[in-house]
Amino acid sequence: MTATSPPPGAGQPAVRPRPGSAVTTGGVGGAVVVVGARVGLWLGVQLGLAGLLILTGVADTAGQALDEAAGWWMVYGALVDLGTLGVIIWLLGRDGRSYRGLLGPPTTAWQLALGAAGVLAATVPAVVFSGELTSAIYGQDAIAPMFAVVDLPPWASVLSVLVVPLVAELAEPVAYLGVVLPRLERRLGRSWLAAAIVVALWAAEHALYPLLTSPGGGLDWRFAAYRVGSVLPFLAAWTAAYYALGRRLLPIMVARWVLNAGTAAALALGLIA
Amino acid sequence: MASSVEGSTQNRVLYRLTWLALVLSLGHHLDHLIRGNAVGWPVTDEVNAFTYSLVVYPIIATGLVLYHTGRVGPGFWALVSGGGAVFVAAVHFGPAAVEPPELIVDHYDRPILGWLVFGWLVAFVTVLAVTCLYETRLWAQQRRAGRAARPAAGAGNTR
Repeated sequence: MTATSPPPGAGQPAVRPRPGSAVTTGGVGGAVVVVGARVGLWLGVQLGLAGLLILTGVADTAGQALDEAAGWWMVYGALVDLGTLGVIIWLLGRDGRSYRGLLGPPTTAWQLALGAAGVLAATVPAVVFSGELTSAIYGQDAIAPMFAVVDLPPWASVLSVLVVPLVAELAEPVAYLGVVLPRLERRLGRSWLAAAIVVALWAAEHALYPLLTSPGGGLDWRFAAYRVGSVLPFLAAWTAAYYALGRRLLPIMVARWVLNAGTAAALALGLIA
Repeated sequence: MASSVEGSTQNRVLYRLTWLALVLSLGHHLDHLIRGNAVGWPVTDEVNAFTYSLVVYPIIATGLVLYHTGRVGPGFWALVSGGGAVFVAAVHFGPAAVEPPELIVDHYDRPILGWLVFGWLVAFVTVLAVTCLYETRLWAQQRRAGRAARPAAGAGNTR
């Protein structure tokens, strides 16, 4: 086993998107559609739900309605992800490609297990950073606001643990790493720049959910900024891991599912209180 | 030809990741020296985690020479990066951390500086972990390529 032994990639399928081929990745317009759809869906679902709460008399003001709706964000997130899946499938149909093709080269069971474990290990620093940021902004041992506001009946909690994280993994990382990233790489010709833009866009999207109001009225911009800052190291670690694993998405999806389903389960069981 | 190009790209990436980790490590040790609240020999008489961590520099220097001469491969670097990630994470992030994040964030007069060096530490451990993932993948690829090459060589020898 030496550095000069046969090239490591020998016999491996070529997996990197070819910069010159629009057929393999599609145009950057598709990336704009996917990101725009997610932004529109997050805003549309929350504002629609808030409007419904006002119309039915559950909430008196827009702020109250938004805060009431925020308690359900771990459930209505599935609508955003289902909508994203719809857009992805539409793009794939238009370009004559398959969903499986977005997940990268074939991944064996041991690659999946070892890769997911590695991604989880690489996520530890992000978890620590996020915890420190929460303590610095909201006080020692404070719960992050997006978890503190969750207020679900048992049936919805079950949904948030068993269904929502699964749908999220089929849509969110596939949208950003499988659809948006290769298209930006092809357009910009620089992987690092495309990756930086994807991480920034992906983090910025998190500012949109849940929409919370500040005690003085109006949107809680401090929370929105905290949300972006706390999620940034996670997204950077996952994007880097995506490259490190030879553009295999499945290990990242499994690791994210463990984290998200685990968090939802901990909330449902009252372990985070 | 395509495989050879891919191999050289992978080598280049491995070197770049090693240099990046080295720069992040030097920056983190510099932070220790500036803070002065978690240093050991040769700065003080005490031999502690800071002292042990300095062993990484001769390991990296030796590894670079051995890798360049083809005596070690990605497996060596995977162990170095993975071991480094576990060591630094245990010292700073673990339940029994001897130098938890508060010791870094709260020790600078300007909070922004504390957050900057803490962010540097987070980036350092993340780079080590992701680099370990990358090197482990290369290691596995080399082993597979080696296994695939062996039967072919054996068949050639029987002729």
